[in-house]
Amino acid sequence: MVNILGFDVPNQLNELTVQQFETITTIHADIELDVIDKHLQVFEFLGVPTIKWDDVEIEEFKEIVKSFNDVTGKPELVSSLEIDGYTYTAFEDKFKLSVKDTKSIEKIMNSKHKGYVSELLAVLFKRTDLTKVEHYSDAHIKLKSKLIRELKAEIAVPYLVEIGQKLSKHIPKDAPTEILE
Amino acid sequence: MHLPKSWSEIDVLQFKEIRELYTIPEVFNREVEILAVLADVSSEDLEDLDIEDVSALIKEIKFVNSEPSKQYKHQVDDYHFKPLDKLTIGEYIDLEFYFSKDYNQHIGHIASIFYRQKSTNQWGVTVYEPYDFSPRQRFELFEDYSINDIYGIVPEFIAFRENFMETYGNLFHDESEEDEEDEKPTTSQESKDIQLKKSELKWGWERLVYSLCNEDLTKFKEVLNLPLIMTFNMLAMKKELNV
Repeated sequence: MVNILGFDVPNQLNELTVQQFETITTIHADIELDVIDKHLQVFEFLGVPTIKWDDVEIEEFKEIVKSFNDVTGKPELVSSLEIDGYTYTAFEDKFKLSVKDTKSIEKIMNSKHKGYVSELLAVLFKRTDLTKVEHYSDAHIKLKSKLIRELKAEIAVPYLVEIGQKLSKHIPKDAPTEILE
Repeated sequence: MHLPKSWSEIDVLQFKEIRELYTIPEVFNREVEILAVLADVSSEDLEDLDIEDVSALIKEIKFVNSEPSKQYKHQVDDYHFKPLDKLTIGEYIDLEFYFSKDYNQHIGHIASIFYRQKSTNQWGVTVYEPYDFSPRQRFELFEDYSINDIYGIVPEFIAFRENFMETYGNLFHDESEEDEEDEKPTTSQESKDIQLKKSELKWGWERLVYSLCNEDLTKFKEVLNLPLIMTFNMLAMKKELNV
Protein backbone atom coordinates (compact mmCIF):
# COMPACT_ATOMS: atom_id res chain seq x y z
CA MET A 1 0.00 0.00 0.00
CA VAL A 2 1.06 3.53 -0.60
CA ASN A 3 -0.46 6.54 1.08
CA ILE A 4 -1.56 9.16 -1.42
CA LEU A 5 -3.00 12.43 -0.12
CA GLY A 6 -4.29 10.61 2.97
CA PHE A 7 -5.74 7.62 1.12
CA ASP A 8 -4.36 4.10 1.35
CA VAL A 9 -3.94 2.97 -2.25
CA PRO A 10 -3.06 -0.61 -3.24
CA ASN A 11 -0.07 -0.68 -5.58
CA GLN A 12 1.62 -4.05 -5.03
CA LEU A 13 0.72 -7.08 -7.10
CA ASN A 14 -0.36 -8.94 -3.98
CA GLU A 15 -2.71 -6.08 -3.08
CA LEU A 16 -4.37 -5.37 -6.40
CA THR A 17 -6.94 -7.80 -7.76
CA VAL A 18 -6.77 -9.05 -11.35
CA GLN A 19 -9.86 -6.96 -12.07
CA GLN A 20 -8.19 -3.79 -10.72
CA PHE A 21 -5.08 -4.62 -12.72
CA GLU A 22 -7.21 -4.97 -15.86
CA THR A 23 -8.82 -1.59 -15.28
CA ILE A 24 -5.43 0.06 -14.74
CA THR A 25 -3.98 -1.43 -17.91
CA THR A 26 -7.11 -0.36 -19.83
CA ILE A 27 -6.71 3.22 -18.60
CA HIS A 28 -3.04 3.21 -19.59
CA ALA A 29 -3.90 1.86 -23.03
CA ASP A 30 -6.39 4.67 -23.70
CA ILE A 31 -4.81 6.74 -26.46
CA GLU A 32 -7.33 9.52 -25.89
CA LEU A 33 -5.77 10.31 -22.49
CA ASP A 34 -2.49 12.09 -21.87
CA VAL A 35 0.00 10.76 -19.31
CA ILE A 36 -1.24 12.92 -16.42
CA ASP A 37 -4.88 12.10 -17.11
CA LYS A 38 -4.03 8.42 -17.11
CA HIS A 39 -2.47 8.65 -13.65
CA LEU A 40 -5.34 10.76 -12.32
CA GLN A 41 -7.88 8.24 -13.58
CA VAL A 42 -5.95 5.35 -12.06
CA PHE A 43 -5.76 7.15 -8.69
CA GLU A 44 -9.44 8.01 -8.83
CA PHE A 45 -10.27 4.39 -9.64
CA LEU A 46 -8.22 3.29 -6.61
CA GLY A 47 -9.95 5.75 -4.30
CA VAL A 48 -8.28 9.16 -4.59
CA PRO A 49 -10.88 11.74 -5.75
CA THR A 50 -9.69 13.92 -8.64
CA ILE A 51 -10.62 17.07 -6.76
CA LYS A 52 -7.88 16.34 -4.21
CA TRP A 53 -5.22 17.02 -6.86
CA ASP A 54 -6.23 20.64 -7.45
CA ASP A 55 -3.58 22.13 -5.18
CA VAL A 56 -0.85 19.56 -5.76
CA GLU A 57 2.32 20.86 -7.41
CA ILE A 58 3.60 18.98 -10.45
CA GLU A 59 6.85 17.99 -8.68
CA GLU A 60 4.87 16.47 -5.79
CA PHE A 61 2.63 14.70 -8.32
CA LYS A 62 5.69 13.18 -9.99
CA GLU A 63 6.96 11.89 -6.62
CA ILE A 64 3.58 10.34 -5.86
CA VAL A 65 3.50 8.58 -9.23
CA LYS A 66 7.03 7.33 -8.59
CA SER A 67 6.07 5.88 -5.21
CA PHE A 68 2.92 4.31 -6.68
CA ASN A 69 4.99 2.64 -9.39
CA ASP A 70 7.50 1.28 -6.88
CA VAL A 71 6.44 -2.35 -7.09
CA THR A 72 8.57 -4.79 -5.14
CA GLY A 73 9.05 -8.54 -5.50
CA LYS A 74 8.94 -10.76 -8.52
CA PRO A 75 6.08 -13.24 -8.32
CA GLU A 76 6.61 -16.73 -9.70
CA LEU A 77 4.36 -18.72 -11.98
CA VAL A 78 1.76 -20.56 -9.93
CA SER A 79 1.01 -23.92 -11.51
CA SER A 80 -2.40 -24.48 -9.95
CA LEU A 81 -5.15 -22.70 -8.03
CA GLU A 82 -7.79 -23.82 -5.58
CA ILE A 83 -11.08 -21.98 -5.98
CA ASP A 84 -14.33 -23.02 -4.30
CA GLY A 85 -13.06 -26.54 -3.72
CA TYR A 86 -11.96 -27.09 -7.33
CA THR A 87 -8.39 -27.39 -8.56
CA TYR A 88 -7.39 -25.48 -11.66
CA THR A 89 -4.08 -26.43 -13.22
CA ALA A 90 -2.06 -24.51 -15.80
CA PHE A 91 0.91 -26.87 -16.05
CA GLU A 92 2.55 -29.82 -14.32
CA ASP A 93 6.34 -29.52 -14.35
CA LYS A 94 7.23 -26.82 -16.84
CA PHE A 95 4.98 -24.17 -18.32
CA LYS A 96 4.23 -24.89 -21.97
CA LEU A 97 1.86 -23.23 -24.37
CA SER A 98 -0.17 -25.61 -26.47
CA VAL A 99 -1.34 -24.67 -29.95
CA LYS A 100 -4.95 -24.76 -28.77
CA ASP A 101 -4.26 -22.37 -25.89
CA THR A 102 -2.18 -20.08 -28.08
CA LYS A 103 -4.96 -19.87 -30.64
CA SER A 104 -7.46 -18.92 -27.93
CA ILE A 105 -5.07 -16.44 -26.34
CA GLU A 106 -4.35 -14.78 -29.66
CA LYS A 107 -8.07 -14.29 -30.26
CA ILE A 108 -8.54 -12.84 -26.77
CA MET A 109 -5.61 -10.46 -27.17
CA ASN A 110 -6.80 -9.32 -30.58
CA SER A 111 -10.24 -8.52 -29.19
CA LYS A 112 -8.57 -5.98 -26.82
CA HIS A 113 -11.45 -6.02 -24.38
CA LYS A 114 -11.12 -4.90 -20.79
CA GLY A 115 -11.25 -8.34 -19.17
CA TYR A 116 -8.61 -9.93 -21.36
CA VAL A 117 -6.16 -10.75 -18.55
CA SER A 118 -8.62 -12.87 -16.56
CA GLU A 119 -9.90 -14.50 -19.75
CA LEU A 120 -6.38 -15.35 -20.79
CA LEU A 121 -5.74 -17.02 -17.42
CA ALA A 122 -9.07 -18.79 -17.72
CA VAL A 123 -7.79 -20.46 -20.88
CA LEU A 124 -4.58 -21.59 -19.18
CA PHE A 125 -6.00 -22.81 -15.88
CA LYS A 126 -8.07 -25.95 -16.46
CA ARG A 127 -10.30 -27.54 -13.89
CA THR A 128 -8.90 -30.98 -13.29
CA ASP A 129 -12.28 -32.74 -13.15
CA LEU A 130 -13.51 -31.49 -16.53
CA THR A 131 -13.03 -32.69 -20.09
CA LYS A 132 -11.11 -30.84 -22.81
CA VAL A 133 -14.33 -29.78 -24.53
CA GLU A 134 -15.65 -28.33 -21.30
CA HIS A 135 -12.40 -26.41 -20.66
CA TYR A 136 -12.81 -24.36 -23.78
CA SER A 137 -16.57 -23.80 -23.81
CA ASP A 138 -17.40 -20.10 -23.86
CA ALA A 139 -19.63 -20.34 -20.80
CA HIS A 140 -16.94 -22.08 -18.76
CA ILE A 141 -14.24 -19.61 -19.81
CA LYS A 142 -16.53 -16.75 -18.78
CA LEU A 143 -17.23 -18.35 -15.41
CA LYS A 144 -13.53 -18.96 -14.78
CA SER A 145 -12.69 -15.39 -15.81
CA LYS A 146 -15.16 -14.12 -13.24
CA LEU A 147 -13.54 -16.21 -10.50
CA ILE A 148 -10.01 -15.27 -11.55
CA ARG A 149 -10.86 -11.57 -11.59
CA GLU A 150 -11.17 -11.70 -7.80
CA LEU A 151 -7.69 -13.18 -7.34
CA LYS A 152 -4.59 -11.09 -6.79
CA ALA A 153 -2.67 -9.67 -9.74
CA GLU A 154 0.48 -11.50 -8.59
CA ILE A 155 -1.05 -14.63 -10.14
CA ALA A 156 -1.58 -12.95 -13.51
CA VAL A 157 1.55 -10.89 -14.09
CA PRO A 158 4.09 -13.75 -14.36
CA TYR A 159 1.83 -15.38 -16.93
CA LEU A 160 1.56 -12.17 -18.92
CA VAL A 161 5.35 -11.92 -18.99
CA GLU A 162 5.81 -15.58 -19.94
CA ILE A 163 3.13 -15.52 -22.64
CA GLY A 164 4.46 -12.25 -24.04
CA GLN A 165 7.91 -13.76 -24.38
CA LYS A 166 6.67 -16.95 -26.00
CA LEU A 167 4.39 -15.18 -28.42
CA SER A 168 6.99 -12.68 -29.52
CA LYS A 169 9.43 -15.54 -30.06
CA HIS A 170 7.13 -17.96 -31.83
CA ILE A 171 4.34 -16.07 -33.52
CA PRO A 172 5.43 -14.77 -36.89
CA LYS A 173 4.87 -11.12 -37.56
CA ASP A 174 1.98 -10.58 -39.93
CA ALA A 175 3.60 -10.51 -43.33
CA PRO A 176 0.99 -9.96 -46.00
CA THR A 177 1.70 -11.45 -49.36
CA GLU A 178 3.02 -9.23 -52.05
CA ILE A 179 0.14 -7.15 -53.33
CA LEU A 180 -0.14 -7.15 -57.03
CA GLU A 181 -2.71 -4.42 -57.44
CA MET B 1 4.95 -34.87 -41.26
CA HIS B 2 5.69 -34.16 -44.92
CA LEU B 3 5.63 -30.50 -45.79
CA PRO B 4 6.07 -28.95 -49.22
CA LYS B 5 9.19 -26.87 -49.65
CA SER B 6 8.00 -24.41 -52.28
CA TRP B 7 5.03 -23.30 -54.37
CA SER B 8 6.06 -25.78 -57.06
CA GLU B 9 4.68 -28.55 -54.84
CA ILE B 10 1.34 -26.79 -54.36
CA ASP B 11 -1.53 -27.31 -56.77
CA VAL B 12 -4.09 -24.68 -57.73
CA LEU B 13 -6.76 -26.10 -55.43
CA GLN B 14 -4.44 -26.01 -52.41
CA PHE B 15 -3.36 -22.50 -53.34
CA LYS B 16 -6.98 -21.35 -53.30
CA GLU B 17 -7.52 -23.05 -49.98
CA ILE B 18 -4.43 -21.36 -48.51
CA ARG B 19 -5.30 -17.91 -49.81
CA GLU B 20 -8.82 -18.23 -48.44
CA LEU B 21 -7.30 -18.70 -44.99
CA TYR B 22 -5.86 -15.20 -45.20
CA THR B 23 -9.26 -13.94 -44.09
CA ILE B 24 -8.39 -15.21 -40.59
CA PRO B 25 -7.21 -12.06 -38.83
CA GLU B 26 -5.10 -13.74 -36.12
CA VAL B 27 -1.63 -14.57 -37.46
CA PHE B 28 -0.98 -17.70 -35.41
CA ASN B 29 -4.48 -19.11 -35.96
CA ARG B 30 -4.03 -18.57 -39.69
CA GLU B 31 -0.56 -20.11 -39.84
CA VAL B 32 -1.76 -23.22 -37.99
CA GLU B 33 -4.66 -23.63 -40.41
CA ILE B 34 -2.29 -23.25 -43.38
CA LEU B 35 0.10 -25.76 -41.83
CA ALA B 36 -2.78 -28.21 -41.45
CA VAL B 37 -3.74 -27.81 -45.12
CA LEU B 38 -0.17 -28.34 -46.29
CA ALA B 39 0.43 -31.29 -43.98
CA ASP B 40 -2.93 -32.72 -45.02
CA VAL B 41 -4.09 -33.11 -41.41
CA SER B 42 -6.93 -31.61 -39.43
CA SER B 43 -5.95 -28.47 -37.51
CA GLU B 44 -7.35 -30.21 -34.43
CA ASP B 45 -4.58 -32.78 -34.77
CA LEU B 46 -2.07 -30.00 -34.15
CA GLU B 47 -3.76 -28.45 -31.15
CA ASP B 48 -2.05 -30.46 -28.43
CA LEU B 49 1.42 -29.76 -29.78
CA ASP B 50 3.69 -27.28 -28.07
CA ILE B 51 3.93 -23.84 -29.64
CA GLU B 52 7.70 -24.32 -30.01
CA ASP B 53 7.27 -27.45 -32.13
CA VAL B 54 4.59 -25.93 -34.29
CA SER B 55 6.42 -22.67 -34.84
CA ALA B 56 9.38 -24.70 -36.12
CA LEU B 57 7.05 -26.33 -38.66
CA ILE B 58 5.54 -22.98 -39.58
CA LYS B 59 9.03 -21.71 -40.39
CA GLU B 60 9.34 -24.51 -42.93
CA ILE B 61 6.34 -23.21 -44.88
CA LYS B 62 7.30 -19.54 -44.87
CA PHE B 63 7.18 -19.56 -48.65
CA VAL B 64 3.36 -19.27 -48.50
CA ASN B 65 3.76 -15.63 -47.53
CA SER B 66 5.37 -14.89 -50.86
CA GLU B 67 3.84 -14.96 -54.31
CA PRO B 68 4.13 -18.05 -56.53
CA SER B 69 6.37 -17.84 -59.57
CA LYS B 70 5.57 -15.09 -62.04
CA GLN B 71 6.73 -17.32 -64.89
CA TYR B 72 3.94 -19.38 -66.41
CA LYS B 73 3.72 -22.25 -68.82
CA HIS B 74 2.67 -21.41 -72.35
CA GLN B 75 1.20 -24.84 -72.74
CA VAL B 76 -0.71 -26.91 -70.20
CA ASP B 77 -1.54 -30.27 -71.75
CA ASP B 78 -3.73 -29.48 -74.77
CA TYR B 79 -4.27 -25.89 -73.74
CA HIS B 80 -2.17 -23.04 -75.02
CA PHE B 81 -1.77 -19.55 -73.63
CA LYS B 82 -3.68 -17.10 -75.82
CA PRO B 83 -1.63 -13.91 -76.13
CA LEU B 84 -3.10 -10.86 -74.45
CA ASP B 85 -3.15 -8.84 -77.65
CA LYS B 86 -5.53 -11.40 -79.10
CA LEU B 87 -8.14 -11.01 -76.35
CA THR B 88 -11.69 -10.35 -77.42
CA ILE B 89 -14.12 -7.96 -75.73
CA GLY B 90 -16.05 -10.86 -74.20
CA GLU B 91 -12.92 -12.47 -72.77
CA TYR B 92 -11.73 -9.17 -71.35
CA ILE B 93 -15.08 -8.46 -69.70
CA ASP B 94 -15.06 -11.86 -68.00
CA LEU B 95 -11.46 -11.39 -66.88
CA GLU B 96 -12.38 -8.00 -65.42
CA PHE B 97 -15.19 -9.71 -63.54
CA TYR B 98 -12.93 -12.36 -61.98
CA PHE B 99 -10.19 -9.87 -61.15
CA SER B 100 -12.67 -7.54 -59.48
CA LYS B 101 -14.03 -10.43 -57.37
CA ASP B 102 -10.95 -12.21 -56.04
CA TYR B 103 -8.44 -13.47 -58.55
CA ASN B 104 -6.86 -15.89 -56.10
CA GLN B 105 -10.14 -17.73 -55.69
CA HIS B 106 -10.84 -17.59 -59.43
CA ILE B 107 -7.43 -18.56 -60.74
CA GLY B 108 -8.93 -21.65 -62.44
CA HIS B 109 -11.62 -19.52 -64.11
CA ILE B 110 -8.99 -17.05 -65.27
CA ALA B 111 -6.78 -19.87 -66.58
CA SER B 112 -9.70 -21.31 -68.52
CA ILE B 113 -10.02 -18.02 -70.42
CA PHE B 114 -6.31 -17.78 -71.18
CA TYR B 115 -5.49 -21.43 -71.88
CA ARG B 116 -7.24 -22.63 -75.01
CA GLN B 117 -7.05 -25.34 -77.59
CA LYS B 118 -5.61 -24.21 -80.87
CA SER B 119 -5.04 -25.38 -84.38
CA THR B 120 -3.35 -24.17 -87.53
CA ASN B 121 -5.60 -23.39 -90.45
CA GLN B 122 -4.89 -24.15 -94.09
CA TRP B 123 -3.03 -20.83 -94.40
CA GLY B 124 -0.69 -21.70 -91.55
CA VAL B 125 -2.33 -19.26 -89.15
CA THR B 126 -2.85 -20.24 -85.52
CA VAL B 127 -6.53 -20.28 -84.63
CA TYR B 128 -7.70 -20.43 -81.01
CA GLU B 129 -10.89 -22.24 -80.08
CA PRO B 130 -13.81 -19.83 -79.82
CA TYR B 131 -14.93 -18.55 -76.45
CA ASP B 132 -18.13 -20.56 -76.56
CA PHE B 133 -17.86 -21.99 -73.08
CA SER B 134 -18.25 -20.64 -69.57
CA PRO B 135 -15.16 -20.55 -67.31
CA ARG B 136 -17.41 -22.15 -64.71
CA GLN B 137 -17.45 -25.29 -66.86
CA ARG B 138 -13.68 -25.46 -67.16
CA PHE B 139 -12.00 -24.07 -64.07
CA GLU B 140 -11.66 -27.51 -62.46
CA LEU B 141 -9.44 -28.65 -65.33
CA PHE B 142 -6.68 -26.45 -63.94
CA GLU B 143 -6.99 -27.26 -60.25
CA ASP B 144 -4.56 -30.16 -60.24
CA TYR B 145 -1.71 -28.25 -61.88
CA SER B 146 1.07 -26.70 -59.87
CA ILE B 147 0.22 -23.11 -59.03
CA ASN B 148 3.63 -22.17 -60.44
CA ASP B 149 2.51 -23.41 -63.87
CA ILE B 150 -0.21 -20.80 -64.27
CA TYR B 151 -0.01 -18.12 -61.54
CA GLY B 152 2.16 -15.87 -63.71
CA ILE B 153 -0.84 -15.04 -65.89
CA VAL B 154 -2.17 -12.94 -63.00
CA PRO B 155 0.60 -10.30 -62.85
CA GLU B 156 0.81 -10.47 -66.64
CA PHE B 157 -2.86 -9.55 -67.00
CA ILE B 158 -2.69 -6.92 -64.27
CA ALA B 159 0.15 -5.17 -66.11
CA PHE B 160 -1.77 -5.42 -69.38
CA ARG B 161 -4.94 -4.09 -67.73
CA GLU B 162 -3.09 -1.12 -66.21
CA ASN B 163 -1.70 -0.21 -69.59
CA PHE B 164 -5.10 -0.75 -71.21
CA MET B 165 -6.91 1.47 -68.70
CA GLU B 166 -4.24 4.13 -69.02
CA THR B 167 -4.70 4.15 -72.78
CA TYR B 168 -8.47 3.81 -73.01
CA GLY B 169 -9.74 4.77 -69.54
CA ASN B 170 -11.25 8.01 -70.83
CA LEU B 171 -13.64 6.00 -73.01
CA PHE B 172 -15.37 4.64 -69.93
CA HIS B 173 -16.53 7.98 -68.53
CA ASP B 174 -16.95 11.62 -69.44
CA GLU B 175 -14.00 13.74 -68.30
CA SER B 176 -16.45 16.49 -67.34
CA GLU B 177 -17.98 14.17 -64.77
CA GLU B 178 -14.72 13.46 -62.93
CA ASP B 179 -15.01 16.32 -60.47
CA GLU B 180 -18.60 15.54 -59.65
CA GLU B 181 -17.91 12.12 -58.19
CA ASP B 182 -17.76 13.15 -54.55
CA GLU B 183 -20.51 15.73 -54.74
CA LYS B 184 -23.34 15.37 -52.30
CA PRO B 185 -26.85 15.89 -53.67
CA THR B 186 -28.67 18.99 -52.50
CA THR B 187 -31.88 18.54 -54.49
CA SER B 188 -33.94 15.51 -55.38
CA GLN B 189 -33.00 15.97 -59.04
CA GLU B 190 -29.28 15.88 -58.18
CA SER B 191 -29.90 12.79 -56.10
CA LYS B 192 -31.57 11.13 -59.08
CA ASP B 193 -28.66 12.14 -61.33
CA ILE B 194 -26.14 10.61 -58.93
CA GLN B 195 -28.19 7.43 -58.74
CA LEU B 196 -28.29 7.30 -62.53
CA LYS B 197 -24.50 7.69 -62.71
CA LYS B 198 -24.08 4.84 -60.24
CA SER B 199 -26.33 2.65 -62.38
CA GLU B 200 -24.36 3.61 -65.47
CA LEU B 201 -21.13 2.55 -63.72
CA LYS B 202 -22.71 -0.72 -62.61
CA TRP B 203 -23.83 -1.54 -66.15
CA GLY B 204 -20.75 -0.03 -67.81
CA TRP B 205 -19.73 -3.02 -69.92
CA GLU B 206 -23.30 -3.90 -70.89
CA ARG B 207 -23.89 -0.32 -72.00
CA LEU B 208 -20.73 -0.33 -74.06
CA VAL B 209 -21.58 -3.61 -75.79
CA TYR B 210 -25.19 -2.50 -76.29
CA SER B 211 -24.00 0.66 -77.97
CA LEU B 212 -21.53 -1.27 -80.15
CA CYS B 213 -24.49 -3.45 -81.22
CA ASN B 214 -26.33 -0.33 -82.27
CA GLU B 215 -28.94 -1.47 -79.76
CA ASP B 216 -29.49 -4.63 -81.81
CA LEU B 217 -29.26 -7.51 -79.35
CA THR B 218 -28.92 -10.10 -82.13
CA LYS B 219 -25.41 -8.71 -82.67
CA PHE B 220 -24.45 -9.06 -79.01
CA LYS B 221 -22.34 -12.21 -79.45
CA GLU B 222 -20.72 -10.83 -82.56
CA VAL B 223 -19.57 -7.77 -80.62
CA LEU B 224 -18.24 -9.89 -77.75
CA ASN B 225 -16.03 -11.71 -80.25
CA LEU B 226 -14.49 -8.52 -81.62
CA PRO B 227 -10.78 -8.05 -80.94
CA LEU B 228 -10.42 -5.88 -77.84
CA ILE B 229 -7.56 -3.65 -78.94
CA MET B 230 -8.90 -3.02 -82.44
CA THR B 231 -12.34 -2.12 -81.07
CA PHE B 232 -10.98 0.28 -78.49
CA ASN B 233 -8.73 1.88 -81.07
CA MET B 234 -11.79 2.53 -83.20
CA LEU B 235 -13.72 3.89 -80.22
CA ALA B 236 -10.82 6.19 -79.38
CA MET B 237 -10.71 7.41 -82.96
CA LYS B 238 -14.48 8.00 -82.90
CA LYS B 239 -14.24 10.00 -79.73
CA GLU B 240 -11.28 12.08 -80.83
CA LEU B 241 -12.82 12.93 -84.18
CA ASN B 242 -16.30 13.19 -82.66
CA VAL B 243 -17.75 11.01 -85.41
